Amino acid sequence: MGASILIADDLSFMRMIQKEILTERGYTVAGEAADGLEAVEKFKTLRPDLVLLDITMPNMNGLEAMRKIFTIDPGAKVIMCSALGQQNLIVEAIKAGVKDFIVKPFKPERILSAIEKALRA
Amino acid sequence: MDESRLRHAFLEEAEELSQKLGESLMALESDRTSAHLVNEVFRLTHSLKSESALMGFAALSELAHRMEDVLGLARNGSLSIEKPVIDSLFAGADLIAEMMAAIAKGESGASFATGEVLRGLSAFGGKDPGGTPTSGAVAQMQRGRAGTPADAADLVFDAPLTLGEFEKLQLAEARDRGEALLKITVSVDEAETMKFPRAYLVFSNLEAVSNVVKVVPAMEGEPVEDALYGRTTLLLTSSNEDEVLRTASGVDQIAHVMIERCQFDAFLASGADRAGETGIAGGGQSDIEAASAPGTGEAASAGQDEQGRRAGAVEKTTIRVDTRKLNDLWSLIAELVLHKSQIARLSEDIGHGKDVHSVREELVESFDSLDKISSGMQQAMMDTRMIPISVIFSKFPRLVRDLSRKLGKPVELVLAGEDTEIDRSVVEALSDPLTHIIRNSLDHGIEFPEERVRRGKSEKGRVSVTARRQGGNIVIELEDDGRGMDVETIRRKALDMGMNEAETFTDGQLLDLVFLPGFSTKDVVTDLSGRGVGMDVVATRVRSELKGDVMLRTENNRGTRVTLFLPLTLTIVNALLIRGESHLYALPLTDVDSTAKLVSAEIRGEEGRESALWMDEEIPVFSLGALFGNGRPKTDEYFAAVLRHGDRKAYLVVDELIEEREVVIKPVDDLLNSQKMFSGVSVLENGKLVFILDTSFLRREHF
Repeated sequence: MGASILIADDLSFMRMIQKEILTERGYTVAGEAADGLEAVEKFKTLRPDLVLLDITMPNMNGLEAMRKIFTIDPGAKVIMCSALGQQNLIVEAIKAGVKDFIVKPFKPERILSAIEKALRA
Repeated sequence: MDESRLRHAFLEEAEELSQKLGESLMALESDRTSAHLVNEVFRLTHSLKSESALMGFAALSELAHRMEDVLGLARNGSLSIEKPVIDSLFAGADLIAEMMAAIAKGESGASFATGEVLRGLSAFGGKDPGGTPTSGAVAQMQRGRAGTPADAADLVFDAPLTLGEFEKLQLAEARDRGEALLKITVSVDEAETMKFPRAYLVFSNLEAVSNVVKVVPAMEGEPVEDALYGRTTLLLTSSNEDEVLRTASGVDQIAHVMIERCQFDAFLASGADRAGETGIAGGGQSDIEAASAPGTGEAASAGQDEQGRRAGAVEKTTIRVDTRKLNDLWSLIAELVLHKSQIARLSEDIGHGKDVHSVREELVESFDSLDKISSGMQQAMMDTRMIPISVIFSKFPRLVRDLSRKLGKPVELVLAGEDTEIDRSVVEALSDPLTHIIRNSLDHGIEFPEERVRRGKSEKGRVSVTARRQGGNIVIELEDDGRGMDVETIRRKALDMGMNEAETFTDGQLLDLVFLPGFSTKDVVTDLSGRGVGMDVVATRVRSELKGDVMLRTENNRGTRVTLFLPLTLTIVNALLIRGESHLYALPLTDVDSTAKLVSAEIRGEEGRESALWMDEEIPVFSLGALFGNGRPKTDEYFAAVLRHGDRKAYLVVDELIEEREVVIKPVDDLLNSQKMFSGVSVLENGKLVFILDTSFLRREHF
């Protein structure tokens, strides 16, 4: 039984691709969220092993959601997904404690190796 | 700087470079595969090239440039150092030495025939004197000129790990604790599009398991060009080498991690700025190819791009400024232009014979406005130097969380005042001490949960970091609710160390001892069962470098509070203007307690060790005259400034106390400051120079 992962991205297409990559590798997609608010809510109820969190999302952005998630569980494993040019936001997220980050567009291997390392840490 | 002094400075340094070049070439001849030596020779020729080009010695620069080209190829592995290569390099080095000798005699070096040596060098793939590429390897080098990321990253490798006083003290303490000194070079996978965040992730993870002393390129403050972080070098101390290696290589998208165990002494020796290269202990290397990035080789291109080089020196020549601040400045400039034309009109009016009285009134008005505008501009310009302290604070949540998990001590971190703005030049110097204090809190201050419960506290410890502006100062408080320090233990320690006066010390005086170099070493602190490892290090950085002050308050079983007082900016300082030895000097007001009149008859003791009463305390007396080797003029009465440093005070006798005022600090040339007596120089409205006395120099010598 693979680790459970929560996917948060406002683009359903993006979530679909990520879901496919993850399930193919044997991970369980615990749930999906289309904005930061939903991501925090789902994190509370589902308690996944890891969260893939997009930075740019409506209602509550990824950084804010990340902070909320860390107050719920300081040991939460979060990987940030960002677009190019969001370098400063990524550094901010690292300072706050995310395990890794992925820059879009990404290759499937990249997402998988990041998740593997984050889960192992 | 005038021409002859510039020339002198150039010659002094270039001659040393040229001499080292000869020595390094000899070493390279007997060890031709040494990458370190190739790097060294490359660096020397590069420095010679740049410096001579700056001075306009074209022939010399050209020659050094060709040598550098050849070494660049050797460095990226496309040229092996065979005997003919060494021979031409020697020929080049010899010629450089001859040219230097000629330049020292006042010639330009242009009369030397360099053609043959240049041709010899170009045979190995450097450009021929005409500038056309002569081999495939050169074509590759040309691409490097366009400034590929790998090119830039490659250069950082050579950036020396130059350590300041703070870092050296940290090393000395780590050595006393028995930790290992490690130099870690992390190469980010070339496919990574964000190299700085990647390197930051490694740095951040390492900070949780070790004490990171220095990072090149720097992580805090304004980041340099992203590509330069493709290769990041960290110097850290740790008691667990395996953990460090595991942590560094456990980050994804890292192609290569190299760990070198270094010797403390090499870094601690004075002037050992390139200790990173000499301080490597034999056999202490581990090399890891991270599994996630197979086949990512070393960056292989010769860096020839001048811009890349300048960036390679990791100097920050650009800053990021909030556009709102620039807009403020811009609107002030618009007003300035307006008033300028108004004054021009007024002067014409006078020319046309307009009534002088009405012109005068308008002129006064204009002047008032100009006065407001200029102070507004000064403020606005200052503001562009200010950035929110959150750039430092924001990394603490992770640090505390990681440390708290590692130590098994649940800790809540409370941050406040993150919007408080500080001078950007302070950021880099401040980050380490704050990190150090927080780490101390978690390591030594906060107790384990069981102990806390036994002491009637909540299971979870609490660390708070607060920043606020208070007058002309930034005040940063770091407080924990840990076990605190026992002042009586400090008193006992002090007495053990032969400090008999500690018998009657107040609590404040006892706590100040923790800041004394060597007092807060490991065995003392373990006994203190509080915190304070390296507090002397923190104090040195804050007091000497940042011109601030640090204070410690503690209560047994209730916790400890460290308070840092920092000046708002390091470029403008409130100072007391004084005259001594017929020159003007400025004393930063933060170092001045008060001013006083001193009656000659009240000064006791022999010359050089005099003292006098201040309130009811006997404090040292010294005069500016004595500092410069002259005695004190003999009169019945003297003016003096009372200098203060923590609880210590001293009289500084001066000829005249002039006024209190703001002065703008400019760096002072080393030639004028060989004894480090001045922290800067300032220019007054009338064009007079005022040297700003560095009171840490006075303290060192006199109290």
